[in-house]
Amino acid sequence: MGKRFDVIVAGAGPAGAAAALRMAQKGLKVLVLERGDVPGGKNMFGGMLPGCPAAEELLAGFWDSAPWERHVVKRVLTIIAQSSSTSLAFEADSYDHPPYNGYTLFRPLFDGWLAEQAVRAGATLLCSTVVQDLLRSGEKITGVRAAGPEGDLEARAVVACDGVLSFLAEKAGLRPPFAPRHMAVGVKGLFRMPEELINERFNLVRDQGATCEFLGCTEGIRGGGFIYTQTETLSAGLVFHLDALKRSGKAPHELFERFLEIAPVRRLLKGARLAEYSAHLLPEGGYRMVSRLFTDGMLVAGDAAGLCYTNGLNQEGMNLAITSGLHAADTICEAFERGDFSSKTLGRYDARLREDFVLKDMKTFEKAIDWMHSDRLFSVYPQVVGTALEEIYRSDGRPKRRMGRIGRDALKGEVTVRELIADLVRGGRSLL
Amino acid sequence: MIVDEIFEIVSYKIDAEAHIRVNQDICHECTHRACTFACPARCYQWNEERERIDFAYEACLECGTCLLICDREALDWHYPRGGFGVHFRLT
Repeated sequence: MGKRFDVIVAGAGPAGAAAALRMAQKGLKVLVLERGDVPGGKNMFGGMLPGCPAAEELLAGFWDSAPWERHVVKRVLTIIAQSSSTSLAFEADSYDHPPYNGYTLFRPLFDGWLAEQAVRAGATLLCSTVVQDLLRSGEKITGVRAAGPEGDLEARAVVACDGVLSFLAEKAGLRPPFAPRHMAVGVKGLFRMPEELINERFNLVRDQGATCEFLGCTEGIRGGGFIYTQTETLSAGLVFHLDALKRSGKAPHELFERFLEIAPVRRLLKGARLAEYSAHLLPEGGYRMVSRLFTDGMLVAGDAAGLCYTNGLNQEGMNLAITSGLHAADTICEAFERGDFSSKTLGRYDARLREDFVLKDMKTFEKAIDWMHSDRLFSVYPQVVGTALEEIYRSDGRPKRRMGRIGRDALKGEVTVRELIADLVRGGRSLL
Repeated sequence: MIVDEIFEIVSYKIDAEAHIRVNQDICHECTHRACTFACPARCYQWNEERERIDFAYEACLECGTCLLICDREALDWHYPRGGFGVHFRLT
């Protein structure tokens, strides 16, 4: 490459591009390496970027120029049972005014745009380049080894934003190898549908968006389904815990095709045309699986650090990625001021994330992971809800029973009192 | 099935060489062969006749499921070379 860089960022996703943009703005010479031929080309995100003040901190007027699709005003949770479905639809007026509470977007567009901002600020972007290894001098990370013509590239600091599988965090000894229970796999179809039809079907106007989550649609495997609205497309798919999927012996692509046939899903997707199919892993270990975030000469941000969580209702990751990228950048700028790239200075990154919502939220829902690993939540309870409500709402000339009785009967034989109490306690601990 | 027509709906730039190598000796002894059902792109199929895994790296979505579920270290797993592999256009 023949040019010295201050910092090398591995990965041009939201964490990497945010970090690069910030550091370039502060005058550092930044090189971003991306394995796709364009930023976002390897990304299959089909979810929501939750409201993210760090974005405005990066660039004033961020949301006026960033390419996003719809702002989310409606969150729907649907519980699927054998012969019924139960939905809870939440809409808030406040979500319909800027700053918006969440955005749906396409990552090939969004990541491309964000990386372009970094390049405009002075960063160098090199695509089609896989980072193979780290360069070391003793314990200190001194650069990266890129596959192909670039070879060894040295820098004062490295920011590993190489995504969920982060081989760099593993090579740096910042995390142990993953186990299937720490990871989920998402499979997703992107479906085309005219904008007016999406608005009509999801009861939206203008660029309002909705997110729909489905519980009980995974044939008993721990996981769930989703449909997210973009402007003229829908993202629909399933997420499974890998350990549960492995044990089930079932194929995710077949589960996906059966999911599309479930009545409430089929009704929402009617007339939509499949345009792309994709799959990816998600960090699902929660707070306990967040990697060590720094070592001499290197920081880890975004999915690479395991900064991603779900508690059943919130699923956040992209906002954590952008915010962690920003903090990584500020920490490295500080390291340049001090001329010290050891853990002593870089450890400030960990403190910054702890002071911010990033690690606070992950800590708040630390125990949610235990709740999300209760098999009955995905198999027994959706059916219990359906069975009970089907009788409660039924009018067929027969005398009605008291609701407590109906509930007890729906649970009988499916779950013992002891199991029910254990699940309630676990759920309470994780969320309340 | 979607995986039967994966090359019609997903874009790839296919490299001449596989980015994941399968150790057939280990797979032969494997009792669960979870890769044959868990891979979202159905890249792994057990060939009864030849008693081996037929691995179609060309359709790989680069998700990493196989790497995580293989508990016998039968896979020499790498991302495709820079610029090769799956290219999501719209997602």
